[in-house]
Amino acid sequence: MSGGGRGGPPRATPIGQGIVRLGIVLLAAFGILAAGAGYWQVARSADLVGRPDDPLLIAAARDVVRGQIRDRDGHVLATSKKDANGEPYRVYPSKAVAPLIGYASRQFGTAGLERAYDAELSGIRGPDPVDELMAKFTTDRYRPQDLKLSLSLDLQKEAVRLLGSDRGSVVMLDPRSGEVLAMASTPTYDAGAIADPATAAAAFAATAADPAKPFLDRAVQGRYVPGSVFKIVTAIAGLGSGAIGTGTRFVRQPPAEKTGLLVSGFRIKDGHHDFTGARPLAFPEAVEVSCNIYFALTGLQTGGDALSSWAAKLGFGAPIPFDVPTATSQVTNGGGSFGGGFADDVELANASYGQGETLATPLQMALVAAAVADGGTLMKPHVVTQLSGRDGATNIAPETWRQVVSPEVAGQIRDAMVLAVEGDSGKLFTPGAAVPGVVTAGKSGTAQLDGSAKPHSWFIGFAPANDPQVAIAVLVESGGSGAAKASPIAGKLMADYLDSVAK
Amino acid sequence: MSVATALPGRLTFGPIRPRSRRRELGLLVLVAVALVVGSVSLGATRALAEGSASFAPWDPARLVVYLAALGMAHVAQVLAGRRTDQVLLPAVGLLGGLGLLLMERLPQDLAGSAFGDSLGLAGVQLVWLVIAITVIAVLSIVVRSDTWLRRYKYTWATAGIGLLLLTFVLGEEANGALLTIRLGPFSGQPTELLKVILVVFLAGYLSEFRPLLISESTRLGPLRLPPLPYLLPMIVMWALAFGIVVIQRDLGAALLFFAVFLALVYVATSRVSYVVIGLILLVLGGIAAYHLFDHVRVRVDIWLDPFADPSGDGYQVVQALIAFARGGLLGTGLGGGLPLVGGRLPIPAIHTDFPLAALGEELGLIGIMAILGVYLVIIERGLRIAAAAADDFRALLAAGLALVVGVQAFIIAAGNLKLIPLTGITLPFISYGGSSLLANAVVVGLLLALSDRGVEPPPPPSRSRGRFDRLLRRSTS
Repeated sequence: MSGGGRGGPPRATPIGQGIVRLGIVLLAAFGILAAGAGYWQVARSADLVGRPDDPLLIAAARDVVRGQIRDRDGHVLATSKKDANGEPYRVYPSKAVAPLIGYASRQFGTAGLERAYDAELSGIRGPDPVDELMAKFTTDRYRPQDLKLSLSLDLQKEAVRLLGSDRGSVVMLDPRSGEVLAMASTPTYDAGAIADPATAAAAFAATAADPAKPFLDRAVQGRYVPGSVFKIVTAIAGLGSGAIGTGTRFVRQPPAEKTGLLVSGFRIKDGHHDFTGARPLAFPEAVEVSCNIYFALTGLQTGGDALSSWAAKLGFGAPIPFDVPTATSQVTNGGGSFGGGFADDVELANASYGQGETLATPLQMALVAAAVADGGTLMKPHVVTQLSGRDGATNIAPETWRQVVSPEVAGQIRDAMVLAVEGDSGKLFTPGAAVPGVVTAGKSGTAQLDGSAKPHSWFIGFAPANDPQVAIAVLVESGGSGAAKASPIAGKLMADYLDSVAK
Repeated sequence: MSVATALPGRLTFGPIRPRSRRRELGLLVLVAVALVVGSVSLGATRALAEGSASFAPWDPARLVVYLAALGMAHVAQVLAGRRTDQVLLPAVGLLGGLGLLLMERLPQDLAGSAFGDSLGLAGVQLVWLVIAITVIAVLSIVVRSDTWLRRYKYTWATAGIGLLLLTFVLGEEANGALLTIRLGPFSGQPTELLKVILVVFLAGYLSEFRPLLISESTRLGPLRLPPLPYLLPMIVMWALAFGIVVIQRDLGAALLFFAVFLALVYVATSRVSYVVIGLILLVLGGIAAYHLFDHVRVRVDIWLDPFADPSGDGYQVVQALIAFARGGLLGTGLGGGLPLVGGRLPIPAIHTDFPLAALGEELGLIGIMAILGVYLVIIERGLRIAAAAADDFRALLAAGLALVVGVQAFIIAAGNLKLIPLTGITLPFISYGGSSLLANAVVVGLLLALSDRGVEPPPPPSRSRGRFDRLLRRSTS
């Protein structure tokens, strides 16, 4: 764009100059447009394609026969049938997996794994750009993939059966790989009825209106007061930071059991274990008898900053990366000025034995058990182990998430957790948790709630203690003490799993 | 002022002799090849979707009619023998053809008018495209004098304001804006024509008052201002744009008019101070409009975060971004994008406000780059014609015409890409709609006419100019 034009008469006015500048400004403006197009079409392309409101996905819901979902043994968890018009709809053989698998419904969209893997199951997103290019020359635009899960349908069904009519959750995983073996949430619901166009509207409305909230996947979305199972987190922080050792005893502990531990004018009471007498407890005994005072003192000695940061290593304070969205577990509401987000030392002392403002998901507490079981290494939890389609299969390999504590500290906590299940006093708190013939480690919890509500019943643990193959967290909402409900469920499920592996 | 360099007295023309236009012919052949390939691709995609393999063009009849119209325009220009620009017609032809292919692959019932029901979306668009090409050819051949534009600038301005007032009073609402005037079965959007009238008026006004606007007489801090009375048009223009926002609720037209105005003032004066004042007015007006008017606030809020309400207010913008994202680098291929959900398009206004999103999905980033490139070519040709023009009026007119196309394309493309708030104006030559195609055809036709260096020379400085020269001498001495 030259100001003089092509051989036109020379012009002395500045209009030519203004025109050239105008051209430069317009060129720059169109350059910005091109950059904007590049941003959305290349840089942000992967984020936007496959969003739940991508019409390609919604259209695919009518046209495409989605991939199947199967468990570790090949049992079908989700498949498709065609209706009278030849349009496919989803079929779910077992209700036990409903909260995790979710549903894919023409009327009501998707939930659970069906939502998280919508793009892969309906096959709109190819694994690599070359394939994507080749796909332009084929007749069918969808290449659905099947999902294989690490989940065991048998174990899952047993977990749901054991939870019975209670609201609760079971999370079992292999601590060596982070693979989820069972992830139950009760009550479950009939995903098949929501996917079937004939019954969808009524089934969805009824499930959504149910006060027991079946759509809530309690394993990853339910946040509960953890009670004494949180003591394992405090133990990891205390021993890991060196604030206490396994031989640490608190002189104030025995008298405080009679009168309550006075922290800044607030008395922490604990009447669990008069039978240990006036002798201050060491760490393993404190775990065995679940001494609140001991862990309150441990928490105070460890400090709020250290407790929060060690908990964060275990996954507290942020959503845990997983195949479906997870709720954030918390040690404290945060924002307090005391350190680590605690409001004051009273909150810290209470949080140290899992009361205070502490809330945890069952998945989070299963990871705490798994970290101890795997020698202080925390594997990234996952449930989808393989994607397979026409173009071959992609395996999702185990991945180390974090090294939380040293193997030595993990071993010390493991030994204490063995005492809590197998020890003479510990047995009283965890009846039924021990797997017959196998040394079992664990910790029960009785989470006190505000008012007169019955406490939540918790158990976390793993087995065999010397070679852990399974870690578990069991929660029963308002199930009473940890001994009453959670411990026997955990013992039975771990035994079932170890039996099935041994066969 | 270099007007005197034009040859005086050569007002008559010799016999019309045909003059070959090889460059235009070559480019048109390329355009035709591209469009035929696109049509075959569209046909193949459609056939595959129905389960058969075919390599026949999709709806060859319409394509043939369109290409024939382009060819006739070329032949007419050759026969007329004028030395006009040879790049503009092929560039416009490519954009129009892409628009036609897009309209062919969209559901035909989008047209939604008496004619649309019988002809379908692509049919209506084809009729308007042929009319537009005819307008381009006729204007580029017939217009040999610009006196009718130059002399009656206040008449044009009056007509423009009348047209605007007519829209204010008689306008029908479409997508929340008062844009359309309906006369029997015909309806049109006068603001499209208004932008041409605006450029004609501004070229006349600015070329006449250029010396005054350049002269300094007032200082306001660091800003050098012309005599204050000459700022009045700026204020009037600003008020007009604001009025369009308020009464007509047409943010796009207001932005387009004001931007073209500022750019032309800058070209005429080379004064950054005008641009600064104008931008300050624009920002103030924008802030005021944001706080005063719901329709402005909604647009801006959607722009800031469309994902806040992806199924409500932000729906179209989010869907457009998803369409761009689905296209990726190479696109899904013509006919391969825009998944229908229950027979409905994800973006209802795809044919008018979001054609770039559709083309971005089906032709990919590469296609978008090519389309933006073609607009740049049109701008470049326009500015080149302006730079080579024989006097200020023609230079400003050509620059203004190029600007109208370029700025309008920028505003709607940037709105589609969430770079600025979305405004409902058309993408020149591509969007569906007769008013837009006609107005842009007038722009291109005039540019072609202006590009002929053998055109009638501009008139010698008029008496009125002498009067203002005296005024200027008085005010600066």
